[in-house]
Amino acid sequence: MQEIRIRRFESTSAHIFLGAFVVSCAVAALLIGSFPLAASIATIFLFAGVHNFMEFRYFMSRMPLHWGRSRTFYSVGIAGVLTLSAAYLTLYFASGNWLWSDESWAVSAAIWNTALILWVGLLFYLRGKQRPRSDWAWAFPAAFFLAALAWIVPQYWSLALVYIHPFIAMWFLERQIRRTKPEWLRAYHYCLASIPVFVFGLWLSLAAQPNVSEETNLFWRISQHAGSQILPGISSHFLVATHVFLESIHYAVWILLIPMVDWRAVPWKLGKIPLFSNKKGFPKLLAAAILVSLLIVAALWGGFAVDYTTTRDIYFAFAIAHVMAEFPFLIKML
Amino acid sequence: MKRTVCLTILILTASLAAFADIARPDKSPNRVEKPKAAKQIDTVLQIRLDRDAKEARLLIPKKYAKELRAALNEMESGENSNAAVAENTAGSFSRTQTIVSGLFLSLALVFGGMWFVRSGKAATKSGKALVIFAIVAGAGSAATYVYANAGPPPSARSITGKIFSKSVNDYGYASGKIKLQISDDADDIYPRLIVPNPQATPSADE
Repeated sequence: MQEIRIRRFESTSAHIFLGAFVVSCAVAALLIGSFPLAASIATIFLFAGVHNFMEFRYFMSRMPLHWGRSRTFYSVGIAGVLTLSAAYLTLYFASGNWLWSDESWAVSAAIWNTALILWVGLLFYLRGKQRPRSDWAWAFPAAFFLAALAWIVPQYWSLALVYIHPFIAMWFLERQIRRTKPEWLRAYHYCLASIPVFVFGLWLSLAAQPNVSEETNLFWRISQHAGSQILPGISSHFLVATHVFLESIHYAVWILLIPMVDWRAVPWKLGKIPLFSNKKGFPKLLAAAILVSLLIVAALWGGFAVDYTTTRDIYFAFAIAHVMAEFPFLIKML
Repeated sequence: MKRTVCLTILILTASLAAFADIARPDKSPNRVEKPKAAKQIDTVLQIRLDRDAKEARLLIPKKYAKELRAALNEMESGENSNAAVAENTAGSFSRTQTIVSGLFLSLALVFGGMWFVRSGKAATKSGKALVIFAIVAGAGSAATYVYANAGPPPSARSITGKIFSKSVNDYGYASGKIKLQISDDADDIYPRLIVPNPQATPSADE
């Protein structure tokens, strides 16, 4: 007896996720492309502190109580975060000092970039040693090659870091979806594939636009951050819009999407944090750390409201720590 | 692993030690001021093709030489000393860039080659294909680099009447030795470039 089956399209949560992502990106690209400077100011004001808090909360949930075989990995990771952040802040706040000539500052910045690259390479190597039947010693030649690039084209290297940073969050989300929501993986890959399409759309609409205004110090900084001085042949309207668009996705991933796919990352579910809920954990310390983080977020909002430009500068100086912290946790998930 | 870490630390320390003596800049804050544009003198350049001339000469009338001397004194009075410092420092950083980036590229090649051989991938078909591709790509890049640095056509390598030919025009650049001379002749109102223009002989690029 023959059986006739009618194939019907059934929307799943993955389809809804894909649709919502694409629609949101389209709306964001439209608004940000139309008002790049205003969007930059608004997104940083609203989401910068919150996304840092969500990252911190996520890292807390991923940190195991006992490091065991990962002791070396986490030690190198934490030491690198602290050392590189301290060195960065020293370079940043000392750059106006008379002790520094342009040359010595440039050399110091290049050395810092080299240290960052070699540290990340070392983390990859250590992670590879933990995985059975894998040899990640290729991390060293790759790191040496990237270090050479950082010396050959230092300005382009720094600008590349600015634009690559938003994708780190997307990589985190990809690894998390693999673990906790594998049915969304294919849809998420389509989401990622749509991002270059939106960037290309921004290029088509904004490449011929005049540069954005640099009449105030703040506008000049926003434009510089997006690379207008390093890429003078490209409209800063496009550069600022693209940078803000990618950063907005970065914020959305940390604030919304990661908690959506991993309940352990939901801020108030402290019981999901091993360091908190375990008998040998540190519940008071973690509760205090969360409280202090929330106070810092509130202080950041206050600072932005009182003096946006100065607060923005201070924020980006100290925010390097969160960029550093992303590397060990991401590599641990590979 | 320890050797790798020690080697890397040694390289970084060596590059640091090379710049231990940081000269105090002339001014603070440390930013080098943008130098003022050099004074320009508006005039006319006469170019004369001379069949009997043996070498190219640029004759500058005395009055322009005096104006140039005044402009030079102005430059040397200190307004462009920062530009000289900037030139020197930029040159030093370029040397450091070249040395350190060359070291890291060498390390990348050495360690990459060692890993490639150790991992056994060199023995596989795809590994061999990758090696052949890398060699071909490397040879192609080298050829592109050499070709990009190809010298100018012969007519562009000296200042003669041939610099006005189409081949030099296509190349867009010519250079050659000239003699700079201050002219006492009262009839010389404008700077004059005398260009030897020997009888036309067949040349390879025509």
